[in-house]
Amino acid sequence: MTYIPLTQRPWRRPSTENPTPEALPADWCRPAALGSAIDAWRRWLVDKPQGRWLLHNPAPEAFCAALFALWESGRSAVLPGDGRADTLAHLGQRLDGVMPEAIPHTPTASAPPAPQVLEAGAEALVLYTSGSTGEPLMQTKRFDQLDAELDVQASCWPLEGSVIVSQVSHQHIYGLLAGILRPVCHGVALCGGDGHYPEVMARRLAEARKAEVEVTLISSPAQLSRLPEHLDWPCPARIFSSGAPLAAEHARRAESLLGAPVVEIYGSTETGGIAWRRQASSADWTPLPGVEIQVQNARLELRSAFLEAPEQWWQQADLAEPVPGGFRLGGRADRLIKLAGKRVSLTAIERDLTALTHVTQAHCVRVTRQESQQEGRLGAIVVMEENALPHTHAERRALSEQLRRHLAPRHEAVALPRYWRFVAELPTNAQGKLDRQARERLFADLSDNRKPRWLGELNDGPNQRHVTLEVPERLAYLAGHFDDFPVVPGVVLVQWAIEQAAHGFGQSEGFQGVDRLKFQRPLAPGTRCRLTLERRRDSIHFALESREGRHAAGRLRFRHIATGEVSA
Amino acid sequence: MHETSQQLTLDLKRMIIEALELEDVTPDDIDAQAPLFGDGLGLDSIDALELGLELQKRYGIKLDAEAEDTRQHFASIDALRALVETRRDR
Repeated sequence: MTYIPLTQRPWRRPSTENPTPEALPADWCRPAALGSAIDAWRRWLVDKPQGRWLLHNPAPEAFCAALFALWESGRSAVLPGDGRADTLAHLGQRLDGVMPEAIPHTPTASAPPAPQVLEAGAEALVLYTSGSTGEPLMQTKRFDQLDAELDVQASCWPLEGSVIVSQVSHQHIYGLLAGILRPVCHGVALCGGDGHYPEVMARRLAEARKAEVEVTLISSPAQLSRLPEHLDWPCPARIFSSGAPLAAEHARRAESLLGAPVVEIYGSTETGGIAWRRQASSADWTPLPGVEIQVQNARLELRSAFLEAPEQWWQQADLAEPVPGGFRLGGRADRLIKLAGKRVSLTAIERDLTALTHVTQAHCVRVTRQESQQEGRLGAIVVMEENALPHTHAERRALSEQLRRHLAPRHEAVALPRYWRFVAELPTNAQGKLDRQARERLFADLSDNRKPRWLGELNDGPNQRHVTLEVPERLAYLAGHFDDFPVVPGVVLVQWAIEQAAHGFGQSEGFQGVDRLKFQRPLAPGTRCRLTLERRRDSIHFALESREGRHAAGRLRFRHIATGEVSA
Repeated sequence: MHETSQQLTLDLKRMIIEALELEDVTPDDIDAQAPLFGDGLGLDSIDALELGLELQKRYGIKLDAEAEDTRQHFASIDALRALVETRRDR
């Protein structure tokens, strides 16, 4: 039984090459028998859009057929982390298509198109994982990343003569690699889906014993730490555990109950597998072949062919300590920074902020102004429900006061955020991350007192942008205007519209003036407002509105309107 | 050139807002008698350092090294104004 990489479509190997033991029940998935189901899916997909397709199917066999049909037709599969209706609906509407549970009826007479070659550099998967901020993050995987990891696993723990029983969801990277793709590459039978519970797992193990084949069990700490003693366990050949470290005591107990070595894999969605250990031998982790490890500032860093950028060092959020031949894992790095000589835990402040009911998410950053060489101050980006967002100076002040008071009992004064950015959602880039550019933009008004405070941007099609802005109290243009009734001068509003348009659409050339300019309402400091920009053939329309109503609107005329898309 | 006490009070409020980059605070929001540190405006030890620098820069005031002294002077806007009125050299 040979190992075949994904790019060579191992599910298409002749079934005679790897005969599945006859004695296994029919509800085991035999990879070589998937051909006709894959072809049926491909016939159905013929007149459908290319691109990214949502795939959620808890049954391994149906999942495999749909997945391989997507791949053979040049599409990529988006695997949601859970099957909740609103998750699927939410993701589905952003994608090119949604795979139904079962193959819709298609005329069987028509031959499916020739399968496409699986390019190593093509996108195979899009996975979702919860990031450090708690918001789901999107992670793409190319075929070469998956194959690199499958190849390493195949060389370390070959599946020759074994079948797979999985207790782990294949909608996540570990369950997909270990429970589905590894057995498919080896051409061995697999079962899962219904194997989450120990009773089902015991039955599957018994089925394999009856068929006289070895079993590799794919499990996780959730299950291995809750093994009932009363069941009769036919011994698997090996047990894999991943998702979280298994407590030493649970590892010992699982090994003794199941009579097999428990191999733990340490990894993450972003990195794939990083290292392994068997606690019966050592609590330290050994890097997988091809994974380079270093420890920098107590943080684990790695380089491997499983990463999206294999040549770059990737920093894990985990603390580590080097040991001969590997590393010892500490806790998750707590994001400690030093302010005024005091250790400040960003995680702790974020946790305390999110404990408030109207705060859905909080992200703290160190904010340093360019001109000052000081160590900076803490800024907090606070995600709130729409109706809790402040709209005026008084509301904003009351809210930041409330948050400071809430934090004050548990944190040093210097650890209290000085700059607050209240947003409806975290401004993220195409990868779903709050990147440096967005962070800098959120606090850019601090180092330039002519700028509005930027609080995020929504694209509504290629030609419309909704930019959320706030008028900083320290805006330069407010000074000396009317001391008792400060307002933003109209010309400044037009300037902001021009600048934001350049950011959203690219730099337009040859400004020719503003038409239909109206200033309907004065704009006071502290006001939260929304700038809507609409790109037309020869002009960009803008309208600035707040909860009070419309403040200004007009048409910016340019000789040449930018056609690019600068911001995400 | 002598400013009125009222003008100096406003100037000091603006100085604090500017130097400490207080975002949600306008001069009207600061009570001249209320404590600047702790419960009141919520200033902290970094701010005390910044204010010291600012007072020197704007009014030529050199503060004593003793922390106790500093804290007294920075107790409120009114205390700060009294300090500036007696110790300023510009």
